[in-house]
Amino acid sequence: MKPYTLQRHLGNFGRTVILLVFLLLVILPIYWMFITSFKTNAEIINAQQITYFPREITTENYVQLFKLYDYKGMLTNSLVVSVSTGLCITLLSILGGYGLARYTFKGKDAMLLFFLVTQMIPGILVIIPLYVIFAKLGMINTRLSLFFFYLITNLPFCVITMRSFFERIPYTLEEAAYVDGCSKLTTLVRIVLPVMFPGIVAVFVFAFIGAWNELIAGTIFINTADLWTIPVGLKSLIGKYDVKWGVLMAGGVCALLPTAIMFAFMQKFVVEGLTAGAVKE
Amino acid sequence: MGILALYIIGVAAACALGMMFIRRHTKGRPTTYSNLSARRKAEPYLFLLPTMLLLLLMFGYPLINSFIMAFQNYKLTAPSKIRFNGLENFQKLFSETDIWLIIKNSFIYVVVSVSGQFLLGMTLAMALNKQFPFRGLYQALVFLPWSFSAFVIGLMHRWSFNGEYGVVNDLLMKLHLIGSKIAWLGTPGFSLAVVIMAMIWMGIPFFAIMILAALQSIPADVYEASYIDGCGPIRRFTKITLPYIKPTVIITILLRTIWIFNSFDLIVVITNGGPANYSQTLPSYMYTKAFASYDFGLASALGVLLMTVLILYVTLFLKATNYNKAGNFS
Amino acid sequence: MRNKLRLCSVIAMLAIMTFAFAGGAAEKQETKLRFIDVSPSPTRQEYFTNTFEKFKQETGISVVYESVPWDDAANKLTVLGASNQLPDVMTTWAGWLGQFTEAGWVVPLSDYIGSTKDEYASTVTELVWKAEQELYGNIYTIPDGMMVKGVFVRKDWAKEVGLDLDMKKGWTYAEYFDAVYKLTDPSKNRYGTSFRGSRGAFDPLFVYLESLNGGSAYAADGSSLMKNQEAVDAYKKWMGLYLDGCAPKDAINWGFVEMVDNFCGGLTGTLINDSEVTATALANMKDEQWMVMPMPRSDKDGKIYNTVNSPYAYSISSSSKNKDAAWKLIEFLTRPDNNIEYCKLTGLIPIKTAVGDDPFYGPNGPYAAFVQQLNDPAMVVPVAFGPFNYTDMHQGMMHEEMQKYLLGRQDAQTSLFNVVNELEKRMKAYLAENPGSAVEQPKGLL
Repeated sequence: MKPYTLQRHLGNFGRTVILLVFLLLVILPIYWMFITSFKTNAEIINAQQITYFPREITTENYVQLFKLYDYKGMLTNSLVVSVSTGLCITLLSILGGYGLARYTFKGKDAMLLFFLVTQMIPGILVIIPLYVIFAKLGMINTRLSLFFFYLITNLPFCVITMRSFFERIPYTLEEAAYVDGCSKLTTLVRIVLPVMFPGIVAVFVFAFIGAWNELIAGTIFINTADLWTIPVGLKSLIGKYDVKWGVLMAGGVCALLPTAIMFAFMQKFVVEGLTAGAVKE
Repeated sequence: MGILALYIIGVAAACALGMMFIRRHTKGRPTTYSNLSARRKAEPYLFLLPTMLLLLLMFGYPLINSFIMAFQNYKLTAPSKIRFNGLENFQKLFSETDIWLIIKNSFIYVVVSVSGQFLLGMTLAMALNKQFPFRGLYQALVFLPWSFSAFVIGLMHRWSFNGEYGVVNDLLMKLHLIGSKIAWLGTPGFSLAVVIMAMIWMGIPFFAIMILAALQSIPADVYEASYIDGCGPIRRFTKITLPYIKPTVIITILLRTIWIFNSFDLIVVITNGGPANYSQTLPSYMYTKAFASYDFGLASALGVLLMTVLILYVTLFLKATNYNKAGNFS
Repeated sequence: MRNKLRLCSVIAMLAIMTFAFAGGAAEKQETKLRFIDVSPSPTRQEYFTNTFEKFKQETGISVVYESVPWDDAANKLTVLGASNQLPDVMTTWAGWLGQFTEAGWVVPLSDYIGSTKDEYASTVTELVWKAEQELYGNIYTIPDGMMVKGVFVRKDWAKEVGLDLDMKKGWTYAEYFDAVYKLTDPSKNRYGTSFRGSRGAFDPLFVYLESLNGGSAYAADGSSLMKNQEAVDAYKKWMGLYLDGCAPKDAINWGFVEMVDNFCGGLTGTLINDSEVTATALANMKDEQWMVMPMPRSDKDGKIYNTVNSPYAYSISSSSKNKDAAWKLIEFLTRPDNNIEYCKLTGLIPIKTAVGDDPFYGPNGPYAAFVQQLNDPAMVVPVAFGPFNYTDMHQGMMHEEMQKYLLGRQDAQTSLFNVVNELEKRMKAYLAENPGSAVEQPKGLL
């Protein structure tokens, strides 16, 4: 057994090294963001000396972020839009993914190609016609317009992803349920979805983040500052001549928190899904 | 409120139409096998109805419009002079002096970014596939690059790689890895490298999450069997792991390539395509030129070109990787 | 039926979701004016919202304050224009006027201005409006405030190397170049100039080349005045600042942000920029560190060639349905008391003569150098690039050709001539398509 355990140890060691390297890769820039948000502006742009820890810790950037720049408002807007986009997309992609995974029908390949093509269209060519349509419907400067836009831009990818998750679940699972007399809907909800849960959570997270980070539609469809989402609000910190680096970093750090929490939760559910719904042939 | 009503009515109408469609095929007939199959036949369409409706409505008009504009002399500043001009826009495109440099940059940008993200993402996913203490916390941290807005990442890189007050040069010099400051954003080749680094940093979590989800659905007993059979780790990887995750990998690479090919926000923020177009790619070129010259005919032509390239790529890629046959385990 | 159930649940879900947004919807438009600010900041937003409140109390017209971050402003206005949804009053940057007038997105304002013309400072009437009339045939903007370029200098460094800089005396281009070389000290990690290499790089260079031609760029028939050896030599001299190490290697890709950041951060010794930057300098540096010198005088005729413009001038869009009300708003915003309050906040120089002698703009204030130039009879405003649309050049070839030369890919003559040839081509085309129009002439305050 000796070579086996040696292999095991080497594997563990290698794994630890890899994990540490990735952690460093991710942590360093975030650490930099973090400490910059606590520096005074003079220290930030001081070209002669770069400090790795603030010489003078100040919370003025955060104060400005919340008081002057209405971060709370931006956060609310971003959350509302992203959560509803995520929920709606998850629902639609469960339906769509299931349809694509379990059935073969006429026009399936064409449909798939169409999904992919929608991802290929350069954004600006879509935004202007959409703007005209939204304007006619009076939807400009509403969160609804953003919701719709994020919905259609993230939907194809999520449907395709969900389909690939469905495909991994063997059909035998459902067949067993039908034999027992379950209807299609019941099977879907009671049997398939619980096993699919990690995938569903992953898709929700992707859809959420797709909406959370988007910038261009946010600037075009929204006119007044009270409806700005976080990326747009942070962009306004970039003036013609100067960038409010400190406040920008503070905003970036704050924008991380909801997503970090979501990632932590996602991990929890994924693990649970693994142990609860392990597929044993 | 008016649009709300309109929207709800629209969706309701679509669903009603769908239901009528099923009704027509099954009304008044006894539930025999053939009727069941008719209902069954309609089911997939129903599942996909809301999605297709939304996408067709929203993308259909822009798609067709762009295609038409690509062959028109469509300048916003001269609305009266709109007319068809055949392939003139495409000719204009290829007569840009640096167009081949831009195309080369696009190619390098996509290939290096996607490979980098894929390899690093795969490594990370495999490392995460086993339980270890604080895994939850670790995962919450290591996936964070994906949750940044592209322009924040771009700005950070622009600042950190600044030749004079950037932290990268400072660190590298302190670690004695370089002797003098490198002008990252001002040197051809390096500027594109910085953009690629930013893109890879941002995209690793995406690959890692997708591959991890795929890895965690591989049945445990398959691995157990391989241990008993005395499989080495490399064999295990190529014969078991890879085939199981192949469909996910293919889809992820496909989509990510399309997205990266079309992305320009990182480039515009970090280097603005400079110096002298050495980090300019086709989409960033389109973004700056379309809005700057108000020439939407030209922009649409470029858009059509990009889409054609991508469609070619997709068809070839799917064929080459035998996508339709992969992943059939049931 | 299960299908029905499924579909109903889908509708219900979507309906609930969409109702969630009702709260964010815009109210129905009555006689509301829309105003868009292309460079928002908390100060500006506060100022405008307060002013709009005052406006509403006086006239009963309410104004919605819209804004878009500066970086995306041009694009947003393009989308708005293309869909005929421009707000009633827009803040516009002068560089966009070529496109806006060509596309017909702004409304001529001469009738509205009428006899009130005399209330405006001569900088406005003689420089800005004359230029607009020559270029576009009519007046399209009311400046929000005037700004002029100056050279920000590190006073303390200059003292160290023995430079005697006197704001009142000014300096020539030769002295300026000399100062830049003197201020460069690699051992102290100091560079002489914040050289701009990216977008906008060609602007100050163009002015320098124009200073050799009395402020003109084109002959009467549209051919360029810069296609000669003198221009090429001057071009090389300007670029020499970078090539000789007076600016960091990185500067080849520097935009405004890097230029200002590096000056305020203590890396560079001089910075050519508009008076707007004064606010940033005041906030980030100590008084004994910096000063402002006027723009250098031409080595040829001793005149100061300097661009004068207003950063966010007010204009009325063609999509506006309440043009008269929009004009009322502009009138209100440019009333002397409102205007000077605005200018003080934003670092600009007031536009109405009724301002009087406010010490803030006096000879000892931070804006002294700028005001001095505006009052200097020897100052001439050189001509703009042209009345045609040059934005695509401004975003591309103008600085790209410079960068190619700096990278050693092209020689100076090719780099310069590529750009001026294109300008010449467009100028001649414009003159041909618009008979009766003439090439713009430089303007002085005399």
